[in-house]
Amino acid sequence: MILRRPLLSLLSAIAFVIMLGPVVILLGVAFTAGSTLTFPPEGLSLRWFAAALEYRPFIDSLGTSLVVAVLSTAAALALGIPATLALQRGAVPGKAFIENLFMTPIIVPELVLGLALFQQLMVGFNITALGTLVIGHTVLLLPYTVRVVGASLALADPRLEEAARGLGAGPVRTFFSVTVPVMRPGIISATILAFITSLNNVPLSLLLTGPGVATLPVEMLNYVQSSFDPVVAAVSVVLLALSVAVALLTERLVGFNKVFGR
Amino acid sequence: MELTSRNTVRLLLLPGLAVLLFAFLYPVAATLAAPPDGDPATVARETGALLTDPNLLPVIARTIRVSVLTTLICLVLGFPTAYLISRAPARWSGKLLALAIFPLMLNTVVRTYGWIVVLGGNGVLSTASQALGLGPVQLLYTETAIVLGLVQLFLPLMILSSYSSLSQQDPRLEDAARGLGAGPSRVFRQVVFPLALPGALVGCTLVFAGAVTAFTTPQLLGGSRERILSTLLYSRVNVSLDWPAASAVALVMTVLVLVVAALSGRLSKRGSTTS
Repeated sequence: MILRRPLLSLLSAIAFVIMLGPVVILLGVAFTAGSTLTFPPEGLSLRWFAAALEYRPFIDSLGTSLVVAVLSTAAALALGIPATLALQRGAVPGKAFIENLFMTPIIVPELVLGLALFQQLMVGFNITALGTLVIGHTVLLLPYTVRVVGASLALADPRLEEAARGLGAGPVRTFFSVTVPVMRPGIISATILAFITSLNNVPLSLLLTGPGVATLPVEMLNYVQSSFDPVVAAVSVVLLALSVAVALLTERLVGFNKVFGR
Repeated sequence: MELTSRNTVRLLLLPGLAVLLFAFLYPVAATLAAPPDGDPATVARETGALLTDPNLLPVIARTIRVSVLTTLICLVLGFPTAYLISRAPARWSGKLLALAIFPLMLNTVVRTYGWIVVLGGNGVLSTASQALGLGPVQLLYTETAIVLGLVQLFLPLMILSSYSSLSQQDPRLEDAARGLGAGPSRVFRQVVFPLALPGALVGCTLVFAGAVTAFTTPQLLGGSRERILSTLLYSRVNVSLDWPAASAVALVMTVLVLVVAALSGRLSKRGSTTS
């Protein structure tokens, strides 16, 4: 392939270097013994990992990030699964319109949504920063849960459920022994996708901060803008390792490309 | 399971719609129309000022320029990558696709931070160019840096969208074209690319909309020297605390994204009816 298609192979090699090169360089910087952002590293040490652990805001904000990710993923599933069930299996007047409505949070710029939630909910209704973060992330994740769970429902033949009813199962039994198993891969995919999306978000979380409340990516951004030592590189390597672990787990559960390739 | 009862359907949909209304539609509409210390007239005046201010027009122009460049580069690099992945042997294609998607799991600070090490005054690029006797280069805090960072960020989206079209193509079409005497580059230009255009177009829309609204990357790589709309919006909120002016920037940004989304929707609809 490479020999037959030299130009395409070159373009594709450039693409992979641009996508992964900066991340690989960050790996090197994180293990430096020096105190500046230079590559190749000046000697090897783990001092920046120790420094990252001692920096309170990172630990505190990791806690905030996890709480927000867990609560907003759960809320987006709790709101999205019933909605997508109604849209896929019920007679909904104006179905296309409502489906599009559930997708709109993806279109509006996240920074604009963050500003709006800051002004109207935090300032307007006096909701705490943590509360507003959870509400905002729920809205952000809702399109993913509706679409991903909906896709697995749309793939399944509704006659499966009719057959179960015809064979004498009641509506509750049909729901739990036919509909839920049909939705399960979609629910697992949606959960992983939503959790990662929440954990990584910057623009929406940026303005939703309060005393002692900020998410980890936002703290990382603030740190990078004020100091030039490799602490954030060390944090990045930890996050990279966690992402690899989640990717491997995802591959075992439902298939990595299936979840992130949509 | 046919949900026949209207009340059941309503009960299932209502909570989601209520949250959308309270936490999305209402706040966004309120902020775009009239922020807490302004009214629609103030926002309209600020938007007019933004669109005529000679200091701010370059920001809008830069936003569009950076987004167009990012989209084109992503297409040129991403589409061939998707093509090679889709035509690679099965045991390779899955792994290559996973490698291309993996960066989507990392947050933007992690993905962008490496560029500071590459592009900075004492960075990898500058050291290499000095070693070659070309003198130092400082690309950090330039438009080029923003474009590079955004290309890195959005290449996976372009690869994915193109791949979804390319992997559905019948490979026998290429064989047929080749059998009829077309060379490999002609097959690529006249058979592969036109058939995969819908996927590439979706990719372009995603990349463009993402580039217009991206914040972290332009903030880190462009800084206050090379502002685009999103970083301008942030400084309006956080530095100058000027809410009506922030609403004006938000309005321009939102309209820009909506126009592009609508345009691409029409384009792909036309494409699907003619082909």
